[in-house]
Amino acid sequence: MGAMTDNDSDFVLDGNAAAGLLQEIFVLEITTAQIQCEACDSREVVGTLRLHAAPMGAVLRCPHCDATLMRAVKTPHGRWLEMTAARCLRF
Amino acid sequence: MNETPISRGFRSRRQEQDAKNRLPPGQYVTRDFPVLSAGPTPQTKVEDWTFALQLGASRLGKWNWAEFDALPQTTIKTDIHCVTKWSKFDTAWQGVTFDDLLSAVGLTEPAEPYIMAHCDGGYTTNIPVEDLIDGKGMVVTRYEGLPIPPAHGGPARLLVPHLYFWKSAKWVRSLRFMEQDERGFWESLGYHNYGDPWKEQRYDGD
Amino acid sequence: MIETAAAPTRRLEWQVAEVREIVVETFRVKSLLLHVPGWQGHLPGQHVDIRLTAEDGYQAQRSYSIASPPEDELLSLTVEKVDNGEVSPYLVGDIRAGDQFELRGPIGGYFVWTVAMRGPLWLIAGGSGIAPLMAMLRHRSRRKVRNPALLLYSSRSLEDVIYREELDAMARRDPDLRVINTLTRKQPEGWKGYRRRIDKGLLAEACFPSERNPNIFVCGPTSLVEAASGFLVELGHEPRTIKTERFGPSGWAP
Repeated sequence: MGAMTDNDSDFVLDGNAAAGLLQEIFVLEITTAQIQCEACDSREVVGTLRLHAAPMGAVLRCPHCDATLMRAVKTPHGRWLEMTAARCLRF
Repeated sequence: MNETPISRGFRSRRQEQDAKNRLPPGQYVTRDFPVLSAGPTPQTKVEDWTFALQLGASRLGKWNWAEFDALPQTTIKTDIHCVTKWSKFDTAWQGVTFDDLLSAVGLTEPAEPYIMAHCDGGYTTNIPVEDLIDGKGMVVTRYEGLPIPPAHGGPARLLVPHLYFWKSAKWVRSLRFMEQDERGFWESLGYHNYGDPWKEQRYDGD
Repeated sequence: MIETAAAPTRRLEWQVAEVREIVVETFRVKSLLLHVPGWQGHLPGQHVDIRLTAEDGYQAQRSYSIASPPEDELLSLTVEKVDNGEVSPYLVGDIRAGDQFELRGPIGGYFVWTVAMRGPLWLIAGGSGIAPLMAMLRHRSRRKVRNPALLLYSSRSLEDVIYREELDAMARRDPDLRVINTLTRKQPEGWKGYRRRIDKGLLAEACFPSERNPNIFVCGPTSLVEAASGFLVELGHEPRTIKTERFGPSGWAP
């Protein structure tokens, strides 16, 4: 009841919360890996990215400019990972 | 023997609901209206809002808020189904049908077979025009008689209730005709291209 | 400089956890003490994924912070019952000692503190967000490390303060640990402490000043975490000294 007025920013999480899904794909510890944003050039560790859309997948956005740095989905048919707006990852 | 342990006494929600004919497979009924967004909520004010119908580079029609509200209005009461398994019955919306948008720009039939919805914040989703005509698709501006809150897609969202709700794109700003189908935000990342809840088409490959 | 103690990554496999004991923390919150054969250890602050399987094969998966320190034999998960939830009513209502479910972890090397990290430790918690921070405090206590530590803990009422007696006892025997509660909805008679949500003024009073360069961990509902970390930056704390773990919307209406 009353969920119609929910502030949807309440549903944002940290990149750390996507670690279960991401560690199925990455061999090395992902939450402490440094990622560089293609849009604003900033560098952050994956654990500090803002995590959106968690029930459907992981949409990880730059905490400075909101650019989507990583997207990941797990389906019964496979796992998907996309990193178009990230320049690089450093472990 | 290495078997998945059963958690004694745990039951899925759907067992606790009436198995109405209205509930697609794998869904449960909720009275809440859960929020799911792929990014921060855009804060577009109605004074700045415009909506367009596009064909390639050309704009078939563009409306500001007052102009859009002056188009023929339709109200609908419908069930909605989210791919994350919740369904909500009897949601009431008001807005402009896709058919009325076509009429408003002088089209008697759709210009191309596919539509891509473009939204504030960059979200996209693709839908065949067959699934928007004949009242099946609308651009809605009111929920339960009130303006749609930003968290739920306001000022305006797409409503295509016979498909999974990720197709009912929040914060829609334009519908673009496409000659060839292209995959939108979720469709290009493992989700089903069409998304019929009655066939449980959640993921690409279902 | 903050050291992020990156946990060595092993392949995350699902393991079987058996409930050994259930501790009632508050009216809505219980801790499950789990035996996980072959558990390889964890760092304070990390979490696990758990997976429940119903008899018809239906599965549900959730994440919970590990509340126990690595020094403990049993793994502790502290679960708050969310109204209309699918999993938490089962874990807080139905589950019994001897029951089993699947678990994988530990997960998340970023939101971690160990006694190897020097400097003052400043923990800020809202509601069930206390869980991973409690792992840190229990670890600090077990290792008998005396770095200055401060816990600022926001709860609705005294009855909602999770681990209340244990925190009181910790603070009593450790002069280097301060525990400050703020009770936002209901306060007992004679309460002299804070009675409001964490705001900038509160953080400016119940704090380590930025010059002391504390390691700061904030955990709880997203709204609390965002507000607190914003204020901390305004108060002069370097963003990289602030680590956050958002729990999403608070479990029930405020």
